[in-house]
Amino acid sequence: MLRDVANRLQQFLGFDPATFGYSWVVGAVVIGIAAVAAFVFIAIFAGPVTFWERRIAGRMMSRIGPNRVGPQGVLQWLADGIKCFLKEDLVPASADSGLFKFAPYLVFGGFMATFAVLPFGANLVAADLDVGLLYLLAITGLVVIGILMAGWASNNKWALFGGIRAAAQLVSYEIPSAFSLMSVVLAAGTMSMQGIIRQQGAWPWDWFVFRNPFLFAAFFLSLTASIAEGNRTPFDLPEGESELVAGYHVEYSGMRFLWFMFAEWGNLWVISSLATVCFLGGWQVPGVTPDEIAASTGLAFAGWQLASLFVFVAKASVLVAFVIQVRWTLPRLRVDQLMITCWKYLVPMALFCLAGVLVLLAAIDENGIADWALRGVSMAAGVFIAVAYIGKVRASYMADRDLYRRMEGKELWYPPYRLP
Amino acid sequence: MTPAEIVQRLRAAFPDGIEAYEDAILDPAVRVSADLAHAVCLFLRDDLGMDTLRVITAIDRPPEAIDVVWHLLSMRDHQTIVIKARVPRETPDIATVSDIWASANWFEREQFDLVGVRFTGHPDLRRLMLPVDWVGHPLRKDYVRPDVYHGIPTSRSAVIPVTHVAPPQHVAKAEPLDNLMRLNMGPHHPATHGVLNFLLETDGEIVRRAQPDVGYLHRGIEKLAEMNTYAGTMPYTDRVDYLGGMFTNQGWAMACERLLGIEVPRRGEFCRIIVCELNRIASHLVGTGSMAMDLGAYTPFIHWLRERETINDLMERICGARLTYTYMRIGGVALDIDRETLDKTLAWLDHFEPICAEFDRLITGNEIFVNRLANVAVLSGPDAQSFSIVGPNLRASGVKWDLRRDEPYSVYPELEFDVPVGLGWRGSVGDAYDRFFLRLIEIRESARILRQAIAMIPDGEIRAKVPRILKPAANEAYGRVEAPRGEAGFYVTSDGTDKPYRVRMRTGCFTAMPVIEFLSPGLMIADIVALIGSLDVIAPEVDR
Repeated sequence: MLRDVANRLQQFLGFDPATFGYSWVVGAVVIGIAAVAAFVFIAIFAGPVTFWERRIAGRMMSRIGPNRVGPQGVLQWLADGIKCFLKEDLVPASADSGLFKFAPYLVFGGFMATFAVLPFGANLVAADLDVGLLYLLAITGLVVIGILMAGWASNNKWALFGGIRAAAQLVSYEIPSAFSLMSVVLAAGTMSMQGIIRQQGAWPWDWFVFRNPFLFAAFFLSLTASIAEGNRTPFDLPEGESELVAGYHVEYSGMRFLWFMFAEWGNLWVISSLATVCFLGGWQVPGVTPDEIAASTGLAFAGWQLASLFVFVAKASVLVAFVIQVRWTLPRLRVDQLMITCWKYLVPMALFCLAGVLVLLAAIDENGIADWALRGVSMAAGVFIAVAYIGKVRASYMADRDLYRRMEGKELWYPPYRLP
Repeated sequence: MTPAEIVQRLRAAFPDGIEAYEDAILDPAVRVSADLAHAVCLFLRDDLGMDTLRVITAIDRPPEAIDVVWHLLSMRDHQTIVIKARVPRETPDIATVSDIWASANWFEREQFDLVGVRFTGHPDLRRLMLPVDWVGHPLRKDYVRPDVYHGIPTSRSAVIPVTHVAPPQHVAKAEPLDNLMRLNMGPHHPATHGVLNFLLETDGEIVRRAQPDVGYLHRGIEKLAEMNTYAGTMPYTDRVDYLGGMFTNQGWAMACERLLGIEVPRRGEFCRIIVCELNRIASHLVGTGSMAMDLGAYTPFIHWLRERETINDLMERICGARLTYTYMRIGGVALDIDRETLDKTLAWLDHFEPICAEFDRLITGNEIFVNRLANVAVLSGPDAQSFSIVGPNLRASGVKWDLRRDEPYSVYPELEFDVPVGLGWRGSVGDAYDRFFLRLIEIRESARILRQAIAMIPDGEIRAKVPRILKPAANEAYGRVEAPRGEAGFYVTSDGTDKPYRVRMRTGCFTAMPVIEFLSPGLMIADIVALIGSLDVIAPEVDR
């Protein structure tokens, strides 16, 4: 994107900014704009997604959820944010005040740095690093340090438990996550995020998830491991409300608490967009190749960018909704079960998928009959899972609707697609 | 075997230990000499099958004596007996029976705390409810309450203006440990269901010992009952168990009715059963729902609360209150249940019974949930009896004991219902999952009872004619009901005045607490949460 902007700037100015004496100023301005854009995106994603999540949770719990601030409560997240701004910033007397104050920024920084390589559209990416995926896996390590630091510096045994649980959990789940993403790297032949997307197509049969059964399995392994890395139920042990009160952020209040929450809800986006990039074809718009988008100019270029942005956000949003639904359905694992799930099941399975992808890459010609047969099998499995899932949801809904009709003698008070 | 035969066996075994047989009082009692009390208890357990200790009560009899009373129960033979011993007031020493029944440990600590009987040989005779530095024993008749405790006035009328006295230095509750971490779980912890405190000794996530520390909600309801009339104590009994107020109401009413010899009219009994079973469903809904919430699943809890909301509405229609009912009266109930409410209850049952299946779909069969509970904190049947565990927790351990069936009261004998016992559905008998699942079955059984009771309810009076001032003759009675958390028993001693001489409340949660310490070694912190949840412990019942 940087190079692109520079080229267009060069055309606009009529001279090459690289020869301009103050080129670092231009660079700094562009980086600054990208950083602010990413931050604004996180803010306007993480904020409303809390509203979205609470409404989904309300729906699942047969209650309403926030609907007072603004129309249907859509401004609830602003009210929450303002409340956190206005709250007193407490540092416990016996806490290690320096570390205590620094930890939230480390967590937020580690989380925010992932946005440097996460693409949003055909050319909408801050930095298309050649080692994008590796960078992303590495930079999230900062979050672990921040959480451990928060847990330790709070001088609270419950917070310490939360911090240590988080460290153990995040470090463990990095491994299956990395292995299953490595299968994608093998299939794509690149670690660049945009490169991985370019290796896929716009249609589902071109996506990596349906490329072969091993990648299909790797998708679910990667999603599970990502949810665990994002500390969400059923893997929310570091916070574990009923066990550890609030875990590593038990002593935090006000704005510092908000940084943790920012990272937590923003992580939803990271989880979903990572899976979208690696498995679901990213921003690929049907009917147009990435090269055609890059070659287009003017209004068409902007239009394609918007279309790709829309496709990407739509795919990621579906995953976000899924992750939210999982959170409000499942109970929490115990810490030993968490480790067993990772080391005894996810890691061997991810390794197996990696090996399987390797074998298939060596044994099967791309676009040969065998390749298309494998794609067909994977597609069939995917369609079967989707149909079974939707069918189960629909059956449960119908049962509830009939119950309600029998109880109240009238129709259910609102259908699932309409808000109360 | 009748009580008289038990006395014969005892006389044969202890020729000079049996002082008297008091068969004039409602629950026949055997008076034994204090020196032989321990031997008699051991004989009763081993030779006569008295497997369960219901409650230990100490009654202050100034000027010179204190009575210690053991209520014993044989679940095997459906037989009860009351043992009494008298100790001098100046040197109130008597041998402990905590080596015979494990539950005696806490019963004796409580009686030491409140009445001041010293149980010799007790492993850990400390105050239980009151602070360690409290002076005096409140349930002694000559007890005078101190005006201030650590600068805090103890009565409302004596509230003094706020003074800036330095607070007492915080005293660590326990010494630090080598190689283990001391963790205070509670009193303000989301999983402790009220104000309970557990002193955990943990090695990382693994708990070596969880020591319950209770008394945060101790309001001295037993003392309050001594200061109140019989009818005036009724509202306090709601507060003993805030999730099952109807049961403590009924337990108190039944004890007083036995003392006064009052027969409750048939419609009154049916009214009682209907509200009690509704209340049992509501209590189990909270119990199972909050258990799922403790394990991280929030949705089932809210679904159950929605159902409970309808029960609260029905209760409000019946008695005007949603939580602390005070619905029962001595001799019957306060208000009649009208036909419309009964119809609404039936309509709700039509709706509710299929909802149970929805709940099962949501959480009961969930693999994570099952794995969190199965084979966790297994309590065997004999251990449960030794710890005087009652109610669903006892039945989950495989002991088929339900007061509604085994010591029938009210009109339960006319109703048809099953008493489920733990079968080790997903793990072993008596594990946390059994305790959870058994409550779900009991919800369905209660719905069954409700349907029958609503179909059978006769017309007529709801309350017997009761004198305005209740003055039972000197006597003793033990009234008990099968509450959602097990036996809620009231041991009332009257002395011919309009106020009880001594009231002792026996609740299911009190005996469930020491079990947590017994089961805790080797569990993980998350398992402790599951254990507390599966025992369905609520703080006011423990402390009263």
